[in-house]
Amino acid sequence: MSESAASLPQPVNKDTSFSTEELRVLIAALSAKDQTHQHNEFTDKEGELKQNWIDFFKILGAQQIRKLSESASTVARFIQQNGISYNVYDADQGQSRPWSLNPLPLLIGKEEWTHISRGLAQRAKLLNEVLKDIYGQQTLLQESYLPAALVQGHPGYLRAVHQVKPPGDVYLHIVAFDIARGPEGKWWVIGNRTQAPSGLGYVLENRLIISKLFPEAFRQLRIQHIASSYRRLLDTFTELAKPLAKGETPRFALLTPGPYNETYFEHAYLARYLGLTLVEGADLTVRDQKLYLKTLQGLQPIHGLFRRLDDEFLDPLELKGDSTLGVPGLLQVVRAGNVLIANALGTGFLESPAIQGFLPAISEKLLGEKLLMPSLHSWWCGEQAAWMDVSPQLATQVIKPTYTGSVGPHFQPFIGEHMDDEQLELLRERIALRPEIYTAQSYLQFSQAMTWQNNEFTPRTSMLRIYAMANTDGTWSILPGGMTRISSDDNDMVSIQRGGSTLDTWVSTEEEVDTYSMLPQRVKRSDGLPAQGGFLVSSRTAENLFWLGRYTERAEALTRLAKEALMIASISGEDNVLALQDAISELTIRSGLISAEAPTLSKSPKVFTRTLIASLISKNAASVGFYLNAIDSNLKLVRDRLPSDHSRLASTMRTTLESRLGEQRSVEEKSLIVAVEALDNLGLQLAALTGLQSDRMTRDLGWRMLTIGRLIERLVNLAETLSTFFSNPGALSSRGFEMLIALFDSTITYRTRYQSYQDIDSLVELLIMDDTNPRAILWILKELEQEIHFLPNTDKEIDIYSQLIKSCMPVEGALDVLSFSKRVAHAGKVLSDELSGRYFAHIKEQRFAS
Amino acid sequence: MKHIRVEHETKCLYESEVQLAHHLAYLRPFNNAFQEVLDSSLIISPEPDSHFKGLDSFGNQRDFFSFQSAHEYLTVTARCEVLTHELPKERLEAVQLTWEEVRDSLRYASGKEYLPVSEFVFPSAYTPYVEKIKTYALESFTPGRKLTEAAIDLTQRIFKDFKYSPKSTEVNTPVWEAFEQRLGVCQDYSHIMIVGLRSLGLSAKYMSGYLLTRQPEGQKKLRGADASHAWVAMYCPGIPGEWLELDPTNNMVADESHVRLSSGRDFGDVSPLRGVIRGGGEHELEVAVTAEEVTPEAA
Repeated sequence: MSESAASLPQPVNKDTSFSTEELRVLIAALSAKDQTHQHNEFTDKEGELKQNWIDFFKILGAQQIRKLSESASTVARFIQQNGISYNVYDADQGQSRPWSLNPLPLLIGKEEWTHISRGLAQRAKLLNEVLKDIYGQQTLLQESYLPAALVQGHPGYLRAVHQVKPPGDVYLHIVAFDIARGPEGKWWVIGNRTQAPSGLGYVLENRLIISKLFPEAFRQLRIQHIASSYRRLLDTFTELAKPLAKGETPRFALLTPGPYNETYFEHAYLARYLGLTLVEGADLTVRDQKLYLKTLQGLQPIHGLFRRLDDEFLDPLELKGDSTLGVPGLLQVVRAGNVLIANALGTGFLESPAIQGFLPAISEKLLGEKLLMPSLHSWWCGEQAAWMDVSPQLATQVIKPTYTGSVGPHFQPFIGEHMDDEQLELLRERIALRPEIYTAQSYLQFSQAMTWQNNEFTPRTSMLRIYAMANTDGTWSILPGGMTRISSDDNDMVSIQRGGSTLDTWVSTEEEVDTYSMLPQRVKRSDGLPAQGGFLVSSRTAENLFWLGRYTERAEALTRLAKEALMIASISGEDNVLALQDAISELTIRSGLISAEAPTLSKSPKVFTRTLIASLISKNAASVGFYLNAIDSNLKLVRDRLPSDHSRLASTMRTTLESRLGEQRSVEEKSLIVAVEALDNLGLQLAALTGLQSDRMTRDLGWRMLTIGRLIERLVNLAETLSTFFSNPGALSSRGFEMLIALFDSTITYRTRYQSYQDIDSLVELLIMDDTNPRAILWILKELEQEIHFLPNTDKEIDIYSQLIKSCMPVEGALDVLSFSKRVAHAGKVLSDELSGRYFAHIKEQRFAS
Repeated sequence: MKHIRVEHETKCLYESEVQLAHHLAYLRPFNNAFQEVLDSSLIISPEPDSHFKGLDSFGNQRDFFSFQSAHEYLTVTARCEVLTHELPKERLEAVQLTWEEVRDSLRYASGKEYLPVSEFVFPSAYTPYVEKIKTYALESFTPGRKLTEAAIDLTQRIFKDFKYSPKSTEVNTPVWEAFEQRLGVCQDYSHIMIVGLRSLGLSAKYMSGYLLTRQPEGQKKLRGADASHAWVAMYCPGIPGEWLELDPTNNMVADESHVRLSSGRDFGDVSPLRGVIRGGGEHELEVAVTAEEVTPEAA
């Protein structure tokens, strides 16, 4: 993260003398002309710019204000380059949209913040108390403070955890509140997310970008940092889980539904930031009511899950039977008190808007306090009296589904204000048929935030998402900041899924700014231990890294081979060129670059060339484009373990290759030289990718797996290349000689060592026997032998792999290159299978019910 | 009163080894106003690596067991012996409540008494709200009608309007589909009735168990020829235990031939045996149930 931040430009020089009047004139000149005069976050009652905005703009200076469009592009570029994305559910699977962030922050003053944070801390505490009661005594039901329909009738209420106490009686570790300001300047709670609140990762990203965009303003306005909140969250997890780890340091993992989830980017990002192992359900297993992570080192106990997976998917044995995302048996672990789940299971029913209407009375009962910040007035239509009350007033209401989450009856909210009398009457009839699934909330016109769009200041309807985090002593901390979401065009709807955008949220303080940073802690913790998960590599991650290594190496080899094949296709009339062309044809077919049906190189160099170029980016399972895709998707799966520039490089490679070679149809007309250039360029990019890996990754087991994958691929590929050349007598002409060395990427080494003298013995020496040439068989074998020993395993198993490697070590003296290379290629494949069988689980899960 | 003995065997032969398996069984009977459990046992083969017993939130006994080592088959044999009683006719006839009175007692209003049985008024995964079933049920539940009368009428109508057809539905067939087809097995009959009752604001449970079948005179009962059974319990104050058990598949009020295993909101809460297994390949479940009356000599 820190390395990417450095690429943001520093602010331009600013003019210091800049009067308030001049500023007002400038802002007015740059403001959208057709603004609606809705209440907003940046002017006071008289319509004058608020003092904190004046301060902000003064620090920016006229020049930077005029260059806000550039700032907006910088933000967009940064987001693009860092692959910050948001997957869109409705669209084709796997489609992701870049995250949307406006360059202007939302400014919140100290007093305002005190009001917000007190109100929300009280509410978070209240919600936790409600859960304690509902999963315990249920006095709220017995004394009809809450209707059973909103608890037992809500799919989010889980009978499976009834009477189960979570560690420390903390049900909620994080609560996200959506709040907005109404026309009279008052803050209202719109709703709360209690199950697996999203956004904490995006909040970090937004902060990282905007604070670097306006570093002076960020510092001078004394904007509170947010890193400590994340630290405290981890501390709370650790503290609460201590008793169940029985003396060990509690180990946490972040549970994600996987890369197709809309906020997968954030899961990977948060895991990396917090130093937690990112896991999917299939990475975990339950034994004797305890939870374990399947790792290269065997089963490792897990004491806590920071989960981003909804309840119903968590345990296919007891909950949603067709879920493939969860962990069978997890609920037994929960009931036995052997794992902390954040947030606890069964908290989803609190997300119903209908609950809001009952909270004021519950607050007085459970806390003995009035609510400090009001909710929107809410009527659950299932209560006859409430429905009678609200039925005549539907025109001023928003009608929302009572039951939220993936299982409730769904409909888009109705906004009474937008409906005519006839439509309202129809709605009334519809509600009367089944009132309990409808909740009416009074319509509130949210205030607007200042944004920069289409080269001008444009106010947009805004809603804030603020995060409350539990402390171990029953108190709550509010993350000073949050995510402000703004509408796109539709002024009533604030939704990221529907194309809205976000603002970083700046909270100023008069006290000293807490400059704590998580970054050093990621690497090393205060107790000297490596960050959580630093040692652990899940079997799935290991497999992904292994194949990432293999695919990257294969893409490199194919790129070199394609280039050499194109070069040789353009040559004719030389001695022995036919034998060499046959060897190359064989290699291109064997590697899958070209299909066996295509005319060989010696028969028709022209057709061969055209076919080869066309197949580079074809959809075939072995094209260069295919492997680039494979690299890209493997990178996404392990993005929490790799430097952030990685995924950017991978997607760039594919798009560059495609754009250089053009559309599929016109590809055949592209000249040879364009293709060769494109391949050269791709070779460089691949080198950069492997460079990043060898230079930026810590040498943990994950890295070892990546390396072993790469070495095995190289071993097999080079051995097969050798055997092809040595089984085509005549291929080793002087040109064939050069080509073979080029395919081994050893041209320079050979030249410096042997000048232009071509001799089979020195060739064998360099490509097989040299243990200093990273492209020589012996070097690869020795490296592999070393790497194998780092794998967690019994001596006996290591011995098997070792023997396999040793069996192909070349012996001194006369060497039959052909049979040797065949033996090596075979051994490489066997080793790959052995490792897969030992370290990666491939067995499918299934379920049945009688 | 009847003394009934049931043996319920589930066999699973796996095509390939199962490496890891988690199972959950609802195979132990419970005591209620009409049933007394004399004995119950669960034999699992091979011996599971772990086995935990416990109660679920509805009070059913359940068994969790798991295997962490490779195995090629699973056999679960549940045996039980119970004494069953019939609901006396006069107790049923004595209930005068109209269905609306019961419905209203289950409705929420601020400050009103809460009835824990209202837990079974709401839709659940296998028994969601279906408008058409509500309309169908309303034909029996005419204004002011006695609850028991209306419910027995609904039981009869389902029995008459639907065709019992063992292969027509599967465990996961949605209730609306079975309703549209007018086809199904006891599970579908029960789910349809539950949806109907709940859509009217009444409280209804899914009952899982067995039925003692009568043999034609002189014929020897075939072992394993019986099956699991399902029926419905409706909240009905005045009945012993406050639940009236109705069997739409057999058009009857549950009697002393019914053996109760467990009850929940729907099949999903109490399916007799389920599992999540790793490996196994293709496999088939074989279920054999034998329910027989224990005659004084045999006992």
